[in-house]
Amino acid sequence: MKVFKELYQYRELLKTNVKKDVRGKYKASFLGVLWSFINPLLQVLVYAIVFPYIMRVQTDNYLIFLICGIIPWTWFTYVISNGTTSITNNANLIKKVYFPREILPISIVTSGLVNFLISCIIILIFVLFGGLGISWHLIFLPFIALIQYIISLAIVFLLSAFNVYVKDVEYMVVFIINMLFYATPILYSTQMFSGWFLWVFKLNPFAHLINAYRDIFYVHQVPQISNLIILLAIGIVALIICYKIFKKLEKRFAEEV
Amino acid sequence: MEKDNVAIKVTNMTKTFKLYSDKANTLKERLVRGRKNKTEVRTVLKSIDLTINKGETVALIGVNGSGKSTLLKLMTKIIYPNKGRVTTHGKLTSLLELGAGFHPDFTGRENIYFNAAIFGLTKQEINKRINDIIEFSELGEFIDSPVRTYSSGMYMRLAFSVAINVDAEILLIDEILAVGDQHFQDKCFAKLEELAKSDMTIVIVSHSLEPMKKLCKRAIWINDGEIAMDGEATTVMDAYLKTCE
Repeated sequence: MKVFKELYQYRELLKTNVKKDVRGKYKASFLGVLWSFINPLLQVLVYAIVFPYIMRVQTDNYLIFLICGIIPWTWFTYVISNGTTSITNNANLIKKVYFPREILPISIVTSGLVNFLISCIIILIFVLFGGLGISWHLIFLPFIALIQYIISLAIVFLLSAFNVYVKDVEYMVVFIINMLFYATPILYSTQMFSGWFLWVFKLNPFAHLINAYRDIFYVHQVPQISNLIILLAIGIVALIICYKIFKKLEKRFAEEV
Repeated sequence: MEKDNVAIKVTNMTKTFKLYSDKANTLKERLVRGRKNKTEVRTVLKSIDLTINKGETVALIGVNGSGKSTLLKLMTKIIYPNKGRVTTHGKLTSLLELGAGFHPDFTGRENIYFNAAIFGLTKQEINKRINDIIEFSELGEFIDSPVRTYSSGMYMRLAFSVAINVDAEILLIDEILAVGDQHFQDKCFAKLEELAKSDMTIVIVSHSLEPMKKLCKRAIWINDGEIAMDGEATTVMDAYLKTCE
């Protein structure tokens, strides 16, 4: 409970940090915040051109299918790559002022959430104008986003603390995210596979999340609730363990960073 | 609680630093060197016992590298002791280094918000104080320029103005006042004297002893990680000066 009390006391810092992350990153560029939406869109465009024509993927409304996967994935990659370095990049602050260190990873995950929620408008625009329309299934969105938030935060607590002691973490992470991208049904659907590969999807939490997002935006059906609840439970346990590890490693941040 | 009067309590505290001859930071270096990596453990502070009461103004003195700044960092909870405990009671603000926690691309005004938020203030609380802070800093129109354009004196003025206006109960200052010009130094000093008379607890590290004699009633002389002398400011400082000659 002490954790929440302290976080509440430092809520202003959390808010300023989130604002800084959402706004500050592209502050100097001409298009500003718009870049955080243009980037995933351009990425979608590349895949939308490459896959149907070169790889001959046959999926109805492939563009929308892609967007439903890439936008949540963008949130995840943003969070992991920026979250891992959130402590090391703020070495100046860590060495000179006291504040609850967990604010840094939390604000990265939160600013990712804000960007994601804004990006959901893009998904909605595409499904509306793409002829798919929207359905009541959207009410599951906060629940799915919450699960992703918890899992990302757990991972970021762990990685950001490790990265202070072993700088290789941030480089290994880049590779692992790349691998995970192809092991997650973003460019393709799980139905295209059979056999042992299905186990990869079963064990990959992001496969479940992406499928759930796609269920509510693209297929218009109730996501697999039992899967999501198991995911939520695992996420909460992971979050508690990773937070404990973070607090343990935190004590020497100022000396090691 | 009989200890209600204590602001900072340090009990049997030891702090050591690992000194790497060449720090192994990457996995490869760690694997290759394994346990051969030469580390030297240096004890910076040796079983320190110290109690500072509420409302006291204390000067920490000693030669460079004696552990004064480390002690301040331990009190701020930036670093943690290896043995023993450091406990503080009350809201704490520290001015350890110039412009710590300033974002160079943000304006002075934005940085006030950011800096005060780091000290745990809410937006409303900052709004209430912002005029006092700007006025004290005497930055005038520069307050809306990015702080990367500031001189070190201006940096210090802004940092000091924020730190004294966040209503802390404990204020830790590490030799930064020397950067300001004479006028601002005098102003800071007058403000510190005013704060010293209030019930704020102030711990200050400084090498300019004359003003410290006026400001502080108590001085703690730290030599080589140990408390060499603790007592009435003038007596301690005179004893310290004698060894320096």
